[in-house]
Formats: sequence, C-alpha cells, structure tokens
Amino acid sequence: MSLINLTSITKHYEMGSQVVKALDGIDITVNKNDYLAFIGSSGSGKSTMLNILGCLDKPTSGQYHLNGKNVEILDQNELSEIRNLEIGFIFQSFNLLPRANALNNVMQPLIYRSIGFRQRKEMAMDALSRVGLGDRVDHLPNQLSGGQRQRVAIARALVTHPSILLADEPTGNLDSKTTVEIMQLFDELHKEGHTLIVVTHENEIAQHCHRIVEMKDGRIFNDGATEKASLGVAV
Amino acid sequence: MFFAFLESSRSALAAIFANRLRSFLTTLGIIIGVASVIAVVSVTGGMSAFIGDSFASLGANSLTIQSYTPFEDLMKGIRSRLTPADLELIEKRGEGIASITPILAANRSSQIKYGSQTAYSEIMGTTYTYQDVSQTYTEVGRFLAQSDNQTRRRIAVIGEDVKENLNLPENPINEYVEFSGEWFKIVGLLEPMGDIMGQSRDNLVLVPYATMVSILGNQAQTDIGIQLSLTPTAEPDVVISQLTTLLRNAHDLSSNEDDDFRIQTAEQLMEQFDQILGTLTMVIGGIVSISLLVGGIGIMNIMLVSVTERTREIGICKAIGAKSHHILMQFLIEALLLSLLGGLVGLATGYGLGMLIANNIPDFPSAIVPLWAAALALGFSAFVGVLFGILPAAKAANLDPIDALRYE
Repeated sequence: MSLINLTSITKHYEMGSQVVKALDGIDITVNKNDYLAFIGSSGSGKSTMLNILGCLDKPTSGQYHLNGKNVEILDQNELSEIRNLEIGFIFQSFNLLPRANALNNVMQPLIYRSIGFRQRKEMAMDALSRVGLGDRVDHLPNQLSGGQRQRVAIARALVTHPSILLADEPTGNLDSKTTVEIMQLFDELHKEGHTLIVVTHENEIAQHCHRIVEMKDGRIFNDGATEKASLGVAV
Repeated sequence: MFFAFLESSRSALAAIFANRLRSFLTTLGIIIGVASVIAVVSVTGGMSAFIGDSFASLGANSLTIQSYTPFEDLMKGIRSRLTPADLELIEKRGEGIASITPILAANRSSQIKYGSQTAYSEIMGTTYTYQDVSQTYTEVGRFLAQSDNQTRRRIAVIGEDVKENLNLPENPINEYVEFSGEWFKIVGLLEPMGDIMGQSRDNLVLVPYATMVSILGNQAQTDIGIQLSLTPTAEPDVVISQLTTLLRNAHDLSSNEDDDFRIQTAEQLMEQFDQILGTLTMVIGGIVSISLLVGGIGIMNIMLVSVTERTREIGICKAIGAKSHHILMQFLIEALLLSLLGGLVGLATGYGLGMLIANNIPDFPSAIVPLWAAALALGFSAFVGVLFGILPAAKAANLDPIDALRYE
C-alpha cells in the first residue's frame, strides 16, 4: 500500500482580488522507502507542496491519504498529532530551539507524546549517536557548526520514528563539504528503510534521490526515476 | 495533564532564567505590590497579635462595665456614671461572678510628690483582684490586699516610671509619696510592663479602692469602671442580660431609654481593635492592589513581547507536534511562575521591611505575617499571572505554524 496518496490536490491563496493557484491539481503516490526529490524554481509550488505533505497546511481541495488516514479533514490539533507521529521535518535553517541543548532539542517532540524523561533521553541519545553526535549532546545550537546543527535536526526528525522524513532545502545553508556529508547521511537513512522526501532547487542534491518530481506553476511537470534508482535496485 | 504541567514548568523556568534581568524587571510591579502589602500587614499583624495578648490577659471570661454617655447628652452637660452604689448592687445581686474589681481613677489632680520632686501619673483606686484581671504583679514588695481596702489604708503600689520620675530610691518600699494632700506609704513596685503603642503602662499608682473613694469625697461625682471575672460555669450572655436589667432598674431607666452604660466582654474589646486594624489593612491593601494590577499589566506586556520574540520557536514546536494546549500551557505557566516568583520575592522583601520598621520603632511589637496574608498575596500574584497571561498565551497558541516558522 502506498504511504502517501494525493488526489487532485489544489491550494489557492487569495492575494487581494487575485487568486494564486500555488498547487493546481496534484496527483502523486509515494511508496514506503521511496527516496524522492521535489525540484523546481521558486514559485513552482514546491514549498506549498512541502507544507501540504508535512500537514502544516490544508489543501483547498483534493484528498490526501497519509498512511491510510484521511488528513485533509483534520483540524489543527489533529494535524499536530499527525506531524508528531508520522513526519520528521528537516529544515533549511535547522530550526532548533536556541535555548535548548542538542539533547533537549531532540527530546522535544517526545514531550508531546507524553514519554517520560528517562525513556525520552534514551531515545534521543540513540538518535544523536545515529547521526554521529553522541559526544555533543550538551552543546547549544550556537556552539555547533552548521553541519552539526543539521545533524541535530535530523536526529530530532528520526527520534520519533516517523513514516516520512521531509527535508526542505536541507543543505541550503551548508558548505559543499558538509553538504556531501549530510547527503551521504540521507543515502544511508534511505538504505536503512526510511522514506525520504527532499525539496530542493539544486539538481545535484536531487541526483542523490531515486525519483525526481519536477514542478512548475503548481503542477507536476515531470516524474521519473534517476540512474541511482536502477543502481539501487541492482545493489 | 500533570505530565504536560511538569514539562511546561520546566521549560517556563528555563525561559524565565534565560532572561534574568528582564524577568526581574517584569516582576518588579508584583514584587513592590506584594512587598508593600506584606510590610503593612506584618506590622499591623504584629500590633494585632500584641493587642490580642494584652486582652487575653484580661481573661476570656471577664466583663468590663463602663458608663456610657450618648454624644447628645454630653452636649447638654449630662454625664452618665457608674457609682459605688452600682458596685455594691452588683456585688450583692449579680450572679455567676467570681470576682469584682472596681477601678476608680482620680478625676482631679493626678499630681504626685516625693520630697521636692513632682510628677504626673495615673492614679487608680482598685482592689486586690486587679492583679488577676490585668495580670500585673509586683517586682518588689506586695500588691494591695483585701484588708487594705477594708481599713482604707493609705498605701500605694507604684509603676516603674513613677519611681523614676520621682527620683525614688532603687527600693522605694516604705517611702512616702503625697497626692491630694494625703501621704501614702509605698508597699509595692510593679514589674515593668512596657509600652503599648507609644503609651507607657508603667506610669501608674494603685491605691485601695475604699481609700480612693474617701479621698475623692463627693460620691455623686465619681464614675467608676468595673471589671468582673465570671465563674467557669457562667454564660457571659446570661450574666450580661442580668446585669443590664439590674443596672437599668438602679438607674431608673424607662423602657424607651437607652442604656447609660456598656457591658463588654474582653473579646468585644479585642474585636473593636481588630476592626480598626482590619479597616486600616483593607484600605492600604486596596491601594496596594492597584500596584499589583499595574504589575500584572507589566507581565502581560512582556509576555506579549516574549510571544513575538519566540514566534519562530512556537512554529518549530508546532511543526514537531505541539498542540495548541501545549503552547498555551507553556506561556500561561511562564506568566504564572513569573508572577508567583515575584510574589515570593515580594513576600520575603515585605516581611524584611516589616521587621525593619518594627525593629526601628522602639517598643513596637515585632512583625508577624499571618498565614492568610501570605497565602492571599501568593494567590493573588498567581491570579494576576494567569489573568494577564491568558491573552499572550492564547495569542501564541493560535499562531499558524507556517507563518510562525517563516517569522524572522
């Protein structure tokens, strides 16, 4: 069964008297363990796509099934719960809580699941070790490098064992060396069985993925497998 | 629920201590408000407890009878009085009375002399039972005895201040003092009792009641006070109504005339004082609550700023799964803790201030913070925190996650 199923999704914004069609009839299916990139120039609707997929925003019309649940009919609090259970966000600007150290940042989503401190810490430590930051758990975000911050953010996304990892320009604020490291981490996570969706405008990044969805003017322009996909299958 | 409360408190405390100076300045309104309330209450509380002790020494089971002249009559030159005849009447016919103590104050000259020294003092005629009713004991010598009254002896028991004012020797027993043209032998010196609200209680001379009556002469002019202590089984209300009937008959009052005397229990006297203090406390408390209101507005203001500052954080939390009530709770608890901490600091400051005031005024009773005042101050701070925290917290909780995430 498909993990994500979008049917005729539209998202319209009213800008004064004008209606902007950010998404204009999207149909797409994402399967478990997909490694998918949304690519497109700014204004193509990929950010809106990310908001809809991430349950941060509700579509104007259409249907969104996530892991068998109808998401478009849920209210804000129910969406919060879905985000907590199903989605791990990785943002361009990391979006860590500035006053919380790495460990607390990673533990934060577990608070909303009412998990006790001890278990929370254990899970967070596991996630931080997974991204190679087991020795930096006491550091505040501003004491970490960009790459390390993004690793903390990835750990925070992983700690809840979500159905999808949703990355929005994950390397946009990183230098090329760190970019490679982060993308390698993504490749590994994919191999471990995670479902990854990356939104980016950089072709290089997209080429790491196994499937690229090109967007333009709120529609899907092209949807196809990359060379990596065949390689992946071969391996 | 408790879990969420605990987690919210944890992060709220972190937020408060992350901006220590700002948190302090924010709560300053609450601190000042609570501190002034507590300072006032602790000083009056100390006073009230002190007065309470003084009245307790009268004994719960005692009554005071005094003449009472309505203001209208006073203007006409009419004065009600209690006479020695009333005293005799109560002695003979009163029921449920264990002891009866007349107090007759000299209403003419209270000038008292020893050798060439002259001083002014309160001179009262009373009996040996005064000692029990007012808990006054002698330091040196003896108190008035029953036989002194019967034989109208010219003796006196004096207070510490009288001894000093008249330059009496350290042991004044057997010295003679003069007042109203009569010589009195000093038989006792009272233990110092200190001041009550700046008024010395040691500047007094006690002489036997009968002696005082004979010195004052014209009995029609005398107005005495009577203190009664009741037998353990007597009901104060029953005794009061019986005495009222007795005195009304004796004073020939018709049924449409008011009593020309007042019978009060020690409790009633204490209640009067408490009422005065209570009113004072209320008035000051009212004024001070305005400062708490201002403090609350200060908290609301800073909380609103804080919500704006942390918009992005709120967005992050919502993105990773915080529901509205998580955010609401966090900010509400932050406001609550902020004002509660302010309340605590204010409580400590106020108590310190109260002690400082009490200690710097000589003979002022020491400051006491009643538990209700502390609870009320903290409760009120908490209330202010929640009240003024609701608006910012609701604002934070209702933020749209996308807008909040994009906020720069």
